[in-house]
Amino acid sequence: MKEKNSAEQLQQGGSFFRLMMIYLIVCSIGFTVMMIWVNKLMKEHDKTLTTQICDLVAEKMNNSISYMTSSAENMAAMLTAQELKDFDNVYGQTRFLKGEAYISMGYVDMQKRIYASDSELEEFEKWDLLEIAKQADPVSISPPYRSGLTGQPVFTLFANITYDGNKKGKLFMTYPLKEIQNIAYTETLADETEIWLMNAESDNLIQCAGKDKYAVGSWANAKLTFEKNINDIDRDDYIDWKRKMSDGEDGAALVYKSGQTGYTQVFADIPSMHGWKLVVRIPSSAMSSAMMKFRTIVIVFTTLLLLATFIMFVMSHKRDEADKEILENLSIHDPLTEVMNRRAFDMAAQTQLAHIGRDDGVMIFIDIDYFKTVNDKYGHDAGDKVLKEFAALLKDVFGENSLIARYGGDEFLVFQKGADRAEAEEKMVELNRRAHDIRPANCPEDDHYHVSCSCGGAVCPENSRDFEELKSLADSALYDVKERGRDGHGWYAKGSGK
Amino acid sequence: MKRLVAAVLCLNITAGLTGCQQPQKKPAVEPAPPFKAVGDTVSGRKDIYLIVKNLGSSYWQVIIDGAEDAAEEFGCNMYYSGSNAESDWRSQERLLDEAVEAGADAVLLAPNDAVELAPKIDEVHDAGVKVVLIDTTANTENYDICYMTDNLMAGQLAAKEMLKQLKNSGNSLAEPLKVGIQVGAQTSLSINERLAGFLQYWTRNAPKDWVIIPDIKCNDGDYEKAVTCAAELFDEDPDIKGVFGTNNGSGKGFAKEIKKRGLNDVVLVSFDYSPEVAELIQSDEYTASTILQRQYHMVHTGVETALALTAGKHFNEKFVDTGVVVVNRNNMQTAEIQEILSHS
Repeated sequence: MKEKNSAEQLQQGGSFFRLMMIYLIVCSIGFTVMMIWVNKLMKEHDKTLTTQICDLVAEKMNNSISYMTSSAENMAAMLTAQELKDFDNVYGQTRFLKGEAYISMGYVDMQKRIYASDSELEEFEKWDLLEIAKQADPVSISPPYRSGLTGQPVFTLFANITYDGNKKGKLFMTYPLKEIQNIAYTETLADETEIWLMNAESDNLIQCAGKDKYAVGSWANAKLTFEKNINDIDRDDYIDWKRKMSDGEDGAALVYKSGQTGYTQVFADIPSMHGWKLVVRIPSSAMSSAMMKFRTIVIVFTTLLLLATFIMFVMSHKRDEADKEILENLSIHDPLTEVMNRRAFDMAAQTQLAHIGRDDGVMIFIDIDYFKTVNDKYGHDAGDKVLKEFAALLKDVFGENSLIARYGGDEFLVFQKGADRAEAEEKMVELNRRAHDIRPANCPEDDHYHVSCSCGGAVCPENSRDFEELKSLADSALYDVKERGRDGHGWYAKGSGK
Repeated sequence: MKRLVAAVLCLNITAGLTGCQQPQKKPAVEPAPPFKAVGDTVSGRKDIYLIVKNLGSSYWQVIIDGAEDAAEEFGCNMYYSGSNAESDWRSQERLLDEAVEAGADAVLLAPNDAVELAPKIDEVHDAGVKVVLIDTTANTENYDICYMTDNLMAGQLAAKEMLKQLKNSGNSLAEPLKVGIQVGAQTSLSINERLAGFLQYWTRNAPKDWVIIPDIKCNDGDYEKAVTCAAELFDEDPDIKGVFGTNNGSGKGFAKEIKKRGLNDVVLVSFDYSPEVAELIQSDEYTASTILQRQYHMVHTGVETALALTAGKHFNEKFVDTGVVVVNRNNMQTAEIQEILSHS
């Protein structure tokens, strides 16, 4: 019975374990899928948000540059309206004017005579600024170069101007590159946003804003700054983005990873700066901080929830197991004496006897002599206690290798597994003797009452292999013992019983 | 008691072992030495203080020699010092203070850090000391004048020389051709400007099918790495026809590999001067050019200007390009080039 129970328990435990494994696997898969989706959504969110920010910054930059070029156009328009004959007088009047932003002003006439200071004339030649002037339509901007006048990087704006009737000349105004750097600076995301001027042909870059104080205002190259460390998986996207730039498109966005850092990068056309684009770059992490917190909270709460569920399952299972054990105990044992009940004994004994080669044993019916007297004389509580003590004595005498059951009110049935008649006889003698030590709890000292019992045995296979028959034969043997005066033991013999 | 003694012994042993195993600290850069006079110092003459980037470099030794010659020629007292590493701008900051305290009339400074030294330059200039920057500018307008190479223009000249030599070597304008580039430290403003200038000129003037290899090698200022980068470039593109090194180390790396592999159909354009590059320039077998800065002229003019400033002269310009010279096989032996090389 114990083996069967253990096997059953193992089987049930195994089912629970398998169920929990399936639960954990399903939860892990679900959790993984959820995190993949959250990461994907975050990436999309970052890309959308940073693209929008890049677009906004690029728009702001372009608007500011347009404002600057408009100022030059307005100045040129104003001078055109004055119907100048040539630039000699006006240059003399305006050459020392200091604008709020620009550092110098000059003119180029139709014959390509340049009205400028000596150092500026050198710069015109050095940087071929007349080529830039030719591109004015109505305005053009030169690439940055270092000014002899200020020692700092500058750029020159050219605007068309008409003089002496219908002659076409140019007004030029030189600004410090810091003007564009000031436009580019934004309080929000100052440390994260990088703004560059990029030449589509040479990949040359000038940084207008960024957190590296050494890089701002300095030259760089996109092949080294952007392309060199780009992850292979994003390389084709980058090449496509560059192709759009080279093809003269107005703008395009790109998301890529360089090492461990993800970036969103946008270019926008600068209409008056031929060949140059505005590039805005923001690391994805700039936008991710809030989403990272969200993701962390999701991970923590989901993990806690799964853990709590798992613990609840386990606790519930343990409680079920405990309840089952109690129920099993109740269905197997006699609650008073804690030996087997009749039903359990019958099942166990039948199973035992059904095993071929393991059916040796002795069936013994035991009866407490005159038990009704104990109840009547000493009370039912005393009677219960006697039953409990007697059952304990049976366990002690016959041991764990025997099936012991309370078969009736004061009747007990014992199947001594694997025992022969001699061994059983020895046990019965001991039982008879030791039963005398049991006295009712409230028995007075001068009352010499003691318990006695009668035992009747039948041997398997000699007497029978059949459970019911063996029981009946043992019962018959018990009857004979009672007939003979009780407090003893006896064996079935032909003719025993009623 | 025995246990206590054992415990103390164990602790001591552990502490000793830990001490032994402490990682060796990086040797600290020695701070700049005090100012040292070059030539004679005569009372009543103007005192000019020269602060260079790196006392251990041959480039800066030329500057110091030039300062000495200029001091003798123009009659002024010249004192010099500088950092022992180009990363040490703090020493230069201290030297500026010392120059002011010593009563300098003018300071010639090659700043190691254009950003960090800007406040100190402002302070010195505001104190009435004339400030002449040489070789590198600073992130301030509060100085008198700056003499340096316009590296953007120098890069353009390098590209112009590359195109010229490639054409002279018989390369067809209609056939595809590849040119590789190697840079030193990516954070060097000079190197970045040279690269920008080279690419600016190239994209505007090179034949359509003559392309720059997109993978620009970067050696981080390390010569051994420069040799490796050169080798990689030649391995990855065996039919490369030109290579451009933006600084001395890059040029040396290319020169070594070109000679090792016998690549006499590859044109090398480099910067500054080294025996390895010089050997290729002088050889009839190879085609090489280098762009020389004029640092001697830089400091010589710097001293002259500093004295003029102390005499009350005003200069309109803040920045003077001291220019470069392209040196190749054709002009290496000319007097002008030899004179410049004698100071290199």
